[in-house]
Amino acid sequence: MIYQNATVHITIAGVLIALLIVVAISSTIWWMLHPPASFIQKLAREAATELERMVGSIVVVFSADILSTHMMALAAKLARGERSELLAIYVIEVPYSLPPDAEMPLEERGALDALGAAESIATASGVSLRTEIIKSRLTKQAVLDLAKRERANLIILGSFREGKYTGAPLGRTIEEIAADAKCDVLIGVEGKHGTLLYEEPGQAGTSNS
Amino acid sequence: MSNVRKPELRRSVTPWGSFSWGYSDVGADIFVGLGLVLGAAAGASNVAFLFAGIVYVCIGLAYTELAATYPVAGGGQYFVLRGLGDIFGFIAGWAVLLDFTIDIALFSWSCVDYLSELLPQVGAPFHPWSHFILVTGLIVGLCVLNIIGVRESTAFNGFVSALDVVSETAILSLGFLFAFSPDLLVHTMQSSWPTPFEFMKGISLAIVSFVGLESISQAAEETQRPASIIPRTSTALILTILIFALSYANLALGMQTWHPIPLDAHGHPQMLWQWLGNNDNNGKAVALIARQVPYWGAIAAFYVPVLGAILLLISSNSGVFGSSRIAYAMASGGLLPSIFQRIHGRYRTPMISLLVFTGVALIEVIFAALPSLSPSMAELYTKYFHGEGGIGFLGDLYAFGAATSYSFVFVALVALRFTDPLSPRRFKIPINIPMRFRGERVEFPVVAVLGFIGITAILAFTLITHPIGRIAGPSWIAFGIILYFVYRKRKGWPLFRSRKRDWRGEQIEILRRAGELELMDEYVANVRASDERRGGSTR
Repeated sequence: MIYQNATVHITIAGVLIALLIVVAISSTIWWMLHPPASFIQKLAREAATELERMVGSIVVVFSADILSTHMMALAAKLARGERSELLAIYVIEVPYSLPPDAEMPLEERGALDALGAAESIATASGVSLRTEIIKSRLTKQAVLDLAKRERANLIILGSFREGKYTGAPLGRTIEEIAADAKCDVLIGVEGKHGTLLYEEPGQAGTSNS
Repeated sequence: MSNVRKPELRRSVTPWGSFSWGYSDVGADIFVGLGLVLGAAAGASNVAFLFAGIVYVCIGLAYTELAATYPVAGGGQYFVLRGLGDIFGFIAGWAVLLDFTIDIALFSWSCVDYLSELLPQVGAPFHPWSHFILVTGLIVGLCVLNIIGVRESTAFNGFVSALDVVSETAILSLGFLFAFSPDLLVHTMQSSWPTPFEFMKGISLAIVSFVGLESISQAAEETQRPASIIPRTSTALILTILIFALSYANLALGMQTWHPIPLDAHGHPQMLWQWLGNNDNNGKAVALIARQVPYWGAIAAFYVPVLGAILLLISSNSGVFGSSRIAYAMASGGLLPSIFQRIHGRYRTPMISLLVFTGVALIEVIFAALPSLSPSMAELYTKYFHGEGGIGFLGDLYAFGAATSYSFVFVALVALRFTDPLSPRRFKIPINIPMRFRGERVEFPVVAVLGFIGITAILAFTLITHPIGRIAGPSWIAFGIILYFVYRKRKGWPLFRSRKRDWRGEQIEILRRAGELELMDEYVANVRASDERRGGSTR
């Protein structure tokens, strides 16, 4: 009798072949799905690793001269994507004619508005945000000290286009921070016209294209 | 002057996408091939699969090298065109077209066979008309879907392929674990060894289980980093299919059945392989073997017919769009009339190609179904074709088309090693003999020659053992050659010689489009160095 229905027939050869099939198929598929990276992919991977390192802790700076609200949305998205710590600070510059802890209700009110807006943006993006109001004689020094204290990887500053040349097109404070910071600095300049491809009314015909 | 670039296919096919593209074509073959081979080669089915498998490995390596070197959508037809010239490119492409039309017919047929496991009302042996109507309905449906531009999504393709790889691994490993008897395997091989004629027929049908590598080449133009990815996906596909085919054949010959096998038509007891290989069951052998796996078979009995039917339908669909795509590529290369390039105004699909080649598939289905539909035709087939009909008829033609196109691909590979030694080859078939040819260092591929001998033997077996295949197959090629000559004469192009083409410029463009910029630089450097050696100007 060759066939014995409804009985299990386990043999050493059968077990070995079964194992061989599972190992061979799974290792083949694994090998196929892990090809070596190309030069371009290696570059991209290095950039991604660099980004992770770069945005471990992000500080967004606001002050009377630094308008960063438009950069806050970008910072929030970056922080969410890279799971970074996000801190928004508002620096109130206290003039030397006043004591360091002088009350400055107008400026403090402006700081609360700016940080409130920053919090709304962060909440909308689903990231948690710490905020801090700092009074200092010099905005640049306050930012650099805070960046050192927080071990910040990235300082984000918002700028605006000045109407005339002043020697520091992005604003003197911003340029000084960018020059002296020990970490990466991202400066966002708010565009006036939306897109370079958009032709302003009245400019038609002046283009060379 | 307009500087608008022609739109290019988006490179969105990932390694798994490339694998599943090929798997949904080749992976479905074993669902059809297993029963056919068991029916023909009996106790030597595993050896038949081994022989065809060795040839298939050579074919796979050849396709891998060529697809990685020339990542374009034309596949085998393009390689032969480039290596051997217009007329051989046409014959190879025309044979591939035959295979694609058979693909449509055979897999739709087998899809209904698998469905009949759950819906006996559409089973071919007892309800030939409902089986025939459903098969033709599926083919017409696929044609309509392709004309209006609906295709299964790549994600769905990938999902079904993944499910099938897991399922087949489970069936085979559990089958060997719980029901394999080495003694029974040896006993079956000794007691049921076929005659040489049957063995040759078995080998020629075993190649059916390995047809479809063309699909990976077809997708090359849309694959990310094709020169690096395609060698991996092709190799993985070759190994996976080979493991499955050899395992199924050995399991079918040496499996202790879990359920009793029905008696044969004469009331005699039969062995598992005999039951799987008879005309009633050879179209759904995998589903039946899965049912015999202890414990797992209870689940497999329900899902394997459905999974098999879906995979076979996807494969049939790949025949529908593959044939139109090849026809488009051949028409672009001036090998077929430009009517095959014509795009439907509203749906933006090659409607004429789709209608013509699904029409051919329908004719093939009618020829295959005639003996079961009409007793007088059955007598005629018995008299002239040894009673061959149904899935066997389609299998014959499938083997013929594949063996013909693969033979040309091997020759083209050897020719291209000599005529185009400058193209960088990220992957090369192993075992090469270095030599010099026209001042260039070239490598002669030994494996390609072995593969050519193997596939030519299979082609010879097909012609010797298949009465329909030896008439219908060469007739298809002869008809195509006449069509080709008429077309070339009307165009005023040379009949036998090839038209002039700038292969160097084309190769740079191919590599640029493929995103293989390092290879492109290497190719340009090779060309410059070669031109300097010859003292000519650089391009």
